[in-house]
Amino acid sequence: MSSDAAAATIDHHFDPTTSTGIPNKKILMWAFLASDCMFFGCLISTHLIYRLHPPPGTLPARQVFSIELTSFSTFILLMSSLMMALAVNAIQKGNLRSMRWSLLTTIFFGCIFLGCQVYEFRNFVYEKHLTITNSILGSTFFTLTGTHGLHVLVGVIWLSGMLLYSFTGRLTEKQAIDVESMGLYWHFVDIVWIVIFTAVYLLEYI
Amino acid sequence: MRIPDLPTRLARWAPAAAALAGSALLSGCFWLDGPQSTFDPNGPVAREQLDLFYVTCWVTLVIFVLVGSALAYAMIKFRARSDADLHAEPPEQHHGNPVVEVSLIAASVFSLVVIAIPTLRGVWFSYDVPEEEKADAYEVTATGYQWWFKFEYPNETAQTVDPTGKLVGAALTTGSELVIPAGRPVHINLRTVDVIHSFWIPKLAGKVDMVPNRGNFLWIRADKPGYFWGQCAEFCGESHALMRFRVIALGPREFNDWLNAQMAPARTVAAAAAGAGAGPKAQFAAYRKFRRNEPGYTDRFDVSPLDAWRAQQLPGGGEDPSMIAKGRELFVSKTCASCHTIRGVAGAVGIQGPELTHVGARTTIAGGLLENNRDELHRWIHAPNDVKPGNKMWVNGYLKNEIKLAPGDEDALIAFLESLK
Amino acid sequence: MEAVAKSDFLAKGESAAKPLVLWRPTAKTGLMSWLTTVDHKRIGFLYGISGLFFLIVGGIEALLIRVQLAVPNNTFLTSAQYSEMFTMHGTTMIFLVVMPIGAAFFNFVMPLQIGARDVAFPRLNAFSYWTFLVGAIIVNLGWFMKDGAPDAGWFGYAPLTTRTFSPTHAIDMWVMGLQLLGVASIAAALNFIVTIINLRAPGMTMMRLPVFTWMTLFTSFLIILSFPAITIALVELMMDRLFGTNFFEVSNGGLPILWQHLFWIFGHPEVYILILPAMGVISEILPTFSRKPLFGYPIVVFSGASIGLLGFGVWSHHMFTSGLGTVATAAFALMTMAIAVPTGVKIFNWIGTLWGGHLSMRTPMMFALGFLWMFMLGGFSGVMHAAAPADLQQHGSYFVVAHFHYVLIGGSLFALLAGIHYWFPLMFGRKVSEFWGKMSFWLVFVGFNATFFPMHFLGLEGMPRRTFTYDANMGWNLGNLISSVGAFILAIGIGVYLVTLVYTYYKGEPTSRDPWDARTLEWSLPNPVPEYNFRVIPTIHARDGWWYEKRHEQEVARESVEHAKAEDAHGGIHMPFQSVYPFLAGVGIFVGAIGTAVIDPADHSLYPGFWGPKIAVTIAGGAIMVVSVFLWALEGAEGTHIHLNEDGSVKGEDPHAGYAPRH
Repeated sequence: MSSDAAAATIDHHFDPTTSTGIPNKKILMWAFLASDCMFFGCLISTHLIYRLHPPPGTLPARQVFSIELTSFSTFILLMSSLMMALAVNAIQKGNLRSMRWSLLTTIFFGCIFLGCQVYEFRNFVYEKHLTITNSILGSTFFTLTGTHGLHVLVGVIWLSGMLLYSFTGRLTEKQAIDVESMGLYWHFVDIVWIVIFTAVYLLEYI
Repeated sequence: MRIPDLPTRLARWAPAAAALAGSALLSGCFWLDGPQSTFDPNGPVAREQLDLFYVTCWVTLVIFVLVGSALAYAMIKFRARSDADLHAEPPEQHHGNPVVEVSLIAASVFSLVVIAIPTLRGVWFSYDVPEEEKADAYEVTATGYQWWFKFEYPNETAQTVDPTGKLVGAALTTGSELVIPAGRPVHINLRTVDVIHSFWIPKLAGKVDMVPNRGNFLWIRADKPGYFWGQCAEFCGESHALMRFRVIALGPREFNDWLNAQMAPARTVAAAAAGAGAGPKAQFAAYRKFRRNEPGYTDRFDVSPLDAWRAQQLPGGGEDPSMIAKGRELFVSKTCASCHTIRGVAGAVGIQGPELTHVGARTTIAGGLLENNRDELHRWIHAPNDVKPGNKMWVNGYLKNEIKLAPGDEDALIAFLESLK
Repeated sequence: MEAVAKSDFLAKGESAAKPLVLWRPTAKTGLMSWLTTVDHKRIGFLYGISGLFFLIVGGIEALLIRVQLAVPNNTFLTSAQYSEMFTMHGTTMIFLVVMPIGAAFFNFVMPLQIGARDVAFPRLNAFSYWTFLVGAIIVNLGWFMKDGAPDAGWFGYAPLTTRTFSPTHAIDMWVMGLQLLGVASIAAALNFIVTIINLRAPGMTMMRLPVFTWMTLFTSFLIILSFPAITIALVELMMDRLFGTNFFEVSNGGLPILWQHLFWIFGHPEVYILILPAMGVISEILPTFSRKPLFGYPIVVFSGASIGLLGFGVWSHHMFTSGLGTVATAAFALMTMAIAVPTGVKIFNWIGTLWGGHLSMRTPMMFALGFLWMFMLGGFSGVMHAAAPADLQQHGSYFVVAHFHYVLIGGSLFALLAGIHYWFPLMFGRKVSEFWGKMSFWLVFVGFNATFFPMHFLGLEGMPRRTFTYDANMGWNLGNLISSVGAFILAIGIGVYLVTLVYTYYKGEPTSRDPWDARTLEWSLPNPVPEYNFRVIPTIHARDGWWYEKRHEQEVARESVEHAKAEDAHGGIHMPFQSVYPFLAGVGIFVGAIGTAVIDPADHSLYPGFWGPKIAVTIAGGAIMVVSVFLWALEGAEGTHIHLNEDGSVKGEDPHAGYAPRH
């Protein structure tokens, strides 16, 4: 069957070797993301529950947050999703060059986001005196956004690996699903950030 | 090959029959009115809960009989009786019967409704003192410690000195034995200072947890005066099994007398009060030796615990004032006082351990574990860790402060504690 | 295992040497073949052996508990030892016995039932097993260390598990081990989900799936959706313990009740993770030995789904005593009762399956019928718990202990023991002696009831669970004594069972294909099952595909000749290459976990700065894992094509590169 696959144009939405026609890797990624939703769900709930039951003397979150910076990094992350979508589209058309540029931009945007987060963390700890140990808010905030940051970092490493791999000549249109499932992951990380941004940051400004 | 003969078939079922008969027999043999039996409710909350339990029992029993008979019938009737049976044409390949399915589902839903209605009533009833009785409710706060319970009476103010030496009013406090008025609803606030505990007096009410940073409560009412066993029901560390307590319900007058006695500061024994005779009367030298985990009370105590409690309120004979006075000094000098409060003893203002102002009047010590008598007192203060592994008196007291008690010190302390009626 | 190794059909072919592949292991026998295997059947055996090993470990812990409680005021164990025993007994039996034995069946049976040659991601499957093993070792490491084994109960309620109250590494190991077991379970479950959705043979529509496969699917969904909750709870606890965060730090406003919610949001679905596979096994065995199809197949499947779904909405019934308030208590009580309906429906359908059948009372059937009775009793005491006010008396008492042992032994374990007997001929080509099989059943059955039936009464008489001793005047003496005697009968029963299995493995009577006249696809295979499973991927025409095949032999034979030709034209049977990287990733995780959980933080005067041994070992472990995963990715999902002779032996092999088509 694999020999056929190479022959004609490839339908990227149908894999004839599976029962459903959906590639295995795609189902795997969707199922994993469902699971990851629960991970973030629990962390976000923890944050919100403690937000409702703040111990006395809790620092008001508004005094800590810098909504301008975070809005900027949110926007950057959203844009990286756009570039990711372009990368998937490019590899599905077999356009390796275009895919590389899109991937590179995605990585670049991801790094900007991470940079903003590192800056934000340092700012919170050293200027605003919010640390992971000194308050519940610090514990939930750093754990939640840190877990998300870790996801972005894993994504950036994965994207970079794929970018390097594309230079070995082994990444072709046939392997578009590898880029696509990576894209699913990246979009998910982006969407989760939208939820976190709303639940953690914007909520404080309502 | 052959049809199994009757004995073989009987033999096959014999173990099942034996198991069933055995279980039935067993249930008859159990002593269902032990000190913590939920089958012997002494208050409305426990009674409501037991009634609901019986409802669930009857409903499930009926279902068990019906479904079990169907299952047993199927197992016997449709058993392949011979080898020929096994190799015969397979039976008709039925795939199901929607009518049967739907009616069985309906039947299960119905039987659950039978349970659900009293459940809902019980949820609200067990939760808090009924509205019409609220005015009459008595307020108590129970606090869990590793591994004993503290009881406070927020509406009864006793005079005590705070650590700075100032005379202040504070809620009457006692430990390990909760005395309540019988016939009145009692609203118990549940608090903890360390881990999660669970407050359970099986004969009065089901348990409610003491969770840190959470204001739980429970209500009980004892129908009549009585002496009830309680125990921590949530694993709380090494000596969880030994974290026990008692509830003593008293009639209105007796309860008032008790309150008045408790409000007084610690009893002092003047030389005159001790009666005639000089010199040490208490010769405690021969204490009983205990094995590890040996039960902490005598059979005599079991027979009529409420009477035992009443007897305990009165000073015993043969008190030795000089020894008691020595014990009182040792209580401070051996640093007992830094954890235990005794109202009336200067410096005894600690709050990590149970308050001991009237410890002599309690039936039990060591968190409801040991009967309050001379041997057990000695057993407890002589080697606390053998009685209650990991307990704070041992870890944070004896070990940290390197407390050594000479035999004479122990005698004096015991005499002192016994005098605190 | 030798049995599989004997079916060594692969000639030592030249494997495709590709530039990016550092090492392609090819061993088919010996230790290396097990460390690098990606064969779902072998991985199933690994799970099964581990599960049975830990059954013995957990069983010994249980016996020590029962010895201690046999008489009042016993001094056989100290209270500290006793706490370790019940904590590890619970943790072991749930995570290291019932789940892995369930996973063994998922691995071995499920792909065969849907007509697949392997799971969707064979190397991920191997990784799941190795991670599971690492987790199991880490949890048990405390036995061999001075810190001792974990001792805060299997649900480790904070704040007892925080550093203030449990300062030693015992809890660190418990936390780390459970997290790894969660990772392993989630990875395995993802694999099973993709496999069931995507690797079904032609004609195997969802509504033709064997019920065991359905239950595998539901269980897998429960795993991926519920394990995150406990993982996050454990992460928060670990952060508290390692980095001083405040999630459960009471003095800084932490709410220990949050632990309970997170734990039971996992914990209740976990109960169904333990029982749904058992229900699947029963739904296979009863039809086979009644020689009738399952009664009401769609309803059984649907009730499995609704049990799984409702299972996410009842967690707080584990917390009725924690002061939820009236409305929440009432809601959770009603939800819990609602779950009794689909559970009852299953029982009705199983009885319906027996009804009018030809019941052959073989050992697997005995265990299955035992399951029906015992699970029914466990269900009844479950309904009693659902009546929340009554549960205030039962919660945390021996009544609960009785209830969940009826569900987990009488339910899960009976079904798993039934399943082992049932599939043993398929796995090893030998049949268990009926006499010894039934003997073990009766010993287990009687011992089990003698152990746990009295506990109902003990609980209602006010005996709290997790107490290392009790006084003689409480009315608990007789019940405890009977229970302890029963425990030893149960242990002898399990002993007879295991010895019988081992004996049968070596000396048992060889069987032919399909000894039970079964109904599902796995029985169409010769035993032991060849590495490639199906000579030709079958086409399924009905539910109970093999039953249909046996009655339409000519039609099926014609079909399979055509399919064989088509498959050969496409290159033959695709087999994935073995890989060492899942194992190496597991080694990395092991090293990292030791660093995180076991090694003391650096004494900063000795190790100035950041690089204490704790950090160093953790990072080293992480690095090994990352490199392994990286090489794993580069190696690619490649495989080889094999061609078979008439008799099923291998004619030849084409090294084949490129992305693997599954069939």
